[in-house]
Amino acid sequence: MLLKNTYNEFIKIIAKPRSYIGLGVLTALILVILFAMKADGSSYISFVTASFEQTLSFNGNILNGNLIAFIILQMLIVHIPLLVALVTGDLISGEAAMGTIRMLATKPISRTNIVLSKFIAGAVYTLILTIWLAFLALVVVKWMFGSGDMIVLNSSGLVILQEGDIFWRYGCSFIVAYLALLTVSSLSICLSAFAENSIGPIVSTMGIIILFTIIGSLDVTVFDSIKKFLFTTHMASWRSFFEDPINLKDIWQSIIILVVHNILLVGIAVIKFNKKDITS
Amino acid sequence: MKNIFLTLTIFCSFSLSCQTADELVSLIIRKIELVKDYSVSANIKADIPLIKVLPVNATIYFKQKDKFKVVSKGIAILPKQGFTDVSSFLSKKGTYVSVDGGLVVLNGIKAHIVTVIPTVENSDIVLAKLWVDIKQNVIIKTDLTTRGSGSVTIDYIYGYQVGYALPDKITFTVDVKKFKMPKSVSADINNTEKNKKPDPNKSKKGTITISLTNYTVNKGISDEIFKKKD
Repeated sequence: MLLKNTYNEFIKIIAKPRSYIGLGVLTALILVILFAMKADGSSYISFVTASFEQTLSFNGNILNGNLIAFIILQMLIVHIPLLVALVTGDLISGEAAMGTIRMLATKPISRTNIVLSKFIAGAVYTLILTIWLAFLALVVVKWMFGSGDMIVLNSSGLVILQEGDIFWRYGCSFIVAYLALLTVSSLSICLSAFAENSIGPIVSTMGIIILFTIIGSLDVTVFDSIKKFLFTTHMASWRSFFEDPINLKDIWQSIIILVVHNILLVGIAVIKFNKKDITS
Repeated sequence: MKNIFLTLTIFCSFSLSCQTADELVSLIIRKIELVKDYSVSANIKADIPLIKVLPVNATIYFKQKDKFKVVSKGIAILPKQGFTDVSSFLSKKGTYVSVDGGLVVLNGIKAHIVTVIPTVENSDIVLAKLWVDIKQNVIIKTDLTTRGSGSVTIDYIYGYQVGYALPDKITFTVDVKKFKMPKSVSADINNTEKNKKPDPNKSKKGTITISLTNYTVNKGISDEIFKKKD
């Protein structure tokens, strides 16, 4: 029954025009970045390597598909949560707004399974969005810009990764990025359980992400104790796969915190939906 | 009379030493000018604070007077200045003066120190201190001070191409204390090292070692190679 209902929920998602906004916007954003990189990518690279270029010169194909895929991921990982929340924030509250929630609850399926099937359908949509991002970032970009060694700039310096050592890092980083987006999906489904309209959960999800991101980026000690528990802090942990050496301890910590967030948020959504008054 | 003799002696010795320095530079230039072009396989190892990079294989092309190109499959890091700058600077006769710095023994090689100072205003090289192997007439070490790139120390080890003054190994030591990470680009949220104070004992020098093999000298190199984009 859970699988059947999940299938139905997924059909509902793909029937809504807003579900294609995410894919369309993602494609448009990547095309804009690719155009910018093709037109003036070298100046972007100069900005990254400016501090070193007074003394050193970097030779070889720096502006290659691997680096541009990284730039795309870095730029878009901030905006993709909005595209995810646009669809998943509507999953429960949309039913309440349209009045179909009563009919849904009369089906021979428990309320817990209804929430779980919506969560799974949202997870599949998020996965499609992530796979589309991966396809554009890795396949299309590499086809346009070619492959090569990759320069990664982080706060501890420059890491130059060899071409053969990059693909598996992207694979792992997309899995972690997916987990981060899944957390956004769970958050919006959780908020959706509390709301009676679609806009509220979508805006609230983005508001929470913005608030947590600002807290995470503020360099003040008063927030240090809570920063590590904010899911937004761990949304960028996909970057850790491009460190050398890779700090597996940090990555595992991020994965655990994101998984715990998912369980908690879906759990709250289940409890709330089970107690939800759908008669009025 | 005694004073005049002393002054003359100092003047003569200074003139003599200037002549020696000029002669040495002329001998170096003569050797440099023997090479019209060359290509060579290079293995580039960079050990620079704040940069992590594995050794890279590349092919280096050079053509007189100042055409220089590094072709590598990967990303190769080279010093901004110092690879061909010394030879092209010395080739511009009349744009510098050379001063004798005396004899020393460097790594078991008897060397003459020659300090070269540019006489033109727009020269990027401010000062070049050369250790010249007086037996082979080749530069074995250079301390290069430039306007744009700070100071670079270059050590040369010669092998079978010593006749062309082409080294088998070059070690560049560059100053890296000015390196800073742009925070907006390196938004590294998981990093917890931001509160750590910089280690005063940490090396502020970076080295780039280039091992050069399979020289092809004066066989002609097409200009197209230097025009090609990476």
